[in-house]
Amino acid sequence: MKVEMYYTPGCSACLARHDELRTAAEAAVSGLEWQDVNVLDNIDRAVDRGVLTLPAIVIDGEIAFTSMPTVNQLRKTLIQRSGRGA
Amino acid sequence: MGLGSLDPGVYFRVQNTCGETGMFTIGKLAVQTGVSNDTLRYYEQENLIQPTAKSPAGYRLYDRDSTRRIHFIKHAQACGFTLAEIRELLTLRGRDKACCGDVRARTIEKKLQIESKIRAMKAMSKALDQLIADCANETQPVTECTIIAALEQVNLSTQVQ
Repeated sequence: MKVEMYYTPGCSACLARHDELRTAAEAAVSGLEWQDVNVLDNIDRAVDRGVLTLPAIVIDGEIAFTSMPTVNQLRKTLIQRSGRGA
Repeated sequence: MGLGSLDPGVYFRVQNTCGETGMFTIGKLAVQTGVSNDTLRYYEQENLIQPTAKSPAGYRLYDRDSTRRIHFIKHAQACGFTLAEIRELLTLRGRDKACCGDVRARTIEKKLQIESKIRAMKAMSKALDQLIADCANETQPVTECTIIAALEQVNLSTQVQ
């Protein structure tokens, strides 16, 4: 499973809970790949994924969160999706 | 009501008050900013601007910060921001704890939205190109027009993508 977090440097909402979310995500799904994507360097990719607000979290190419989720929200979504894919 | 419809005596008194306090009426604000009185009143309804004071006769009075706010609104609109988004930017502008990074993030979000719209518009333009190309014979009767036939197809949107 691949998680992309779209952010922009200096965005306080993007920094909030980032480390906590990443740690929780990696603990929830084994082999999870986490990638931080700077929107300014990847505008086309962000538009491809449907990212219109920041921060945004994309899971396996699909936009899952258009604002920063809580740790529980992210964990729940990841576990559901990992069950769906199994 | 524009200043032109005021009693000249009232007009003189309002102008005089403004001269002493460095404030001016909605009409003068409109002239300074190139925005109509109606639009300024709409901005007021939308909480984008507020009169600094009222004259003894009850006329709205504005100061130089109002002029700056109007220019801010106009520039932001020219960059694609909606009035609701501009209200948020103005709030950030006046908030001590806000930093430039927050404003920058809003600006990047606006760019993402515009890039997304450009992409959608390009797809529409491409779909129109296809319709135009498919209609090679413009002398055909309208009942045989391939563009009309294509637009009537239920699954056109999947065909043109």
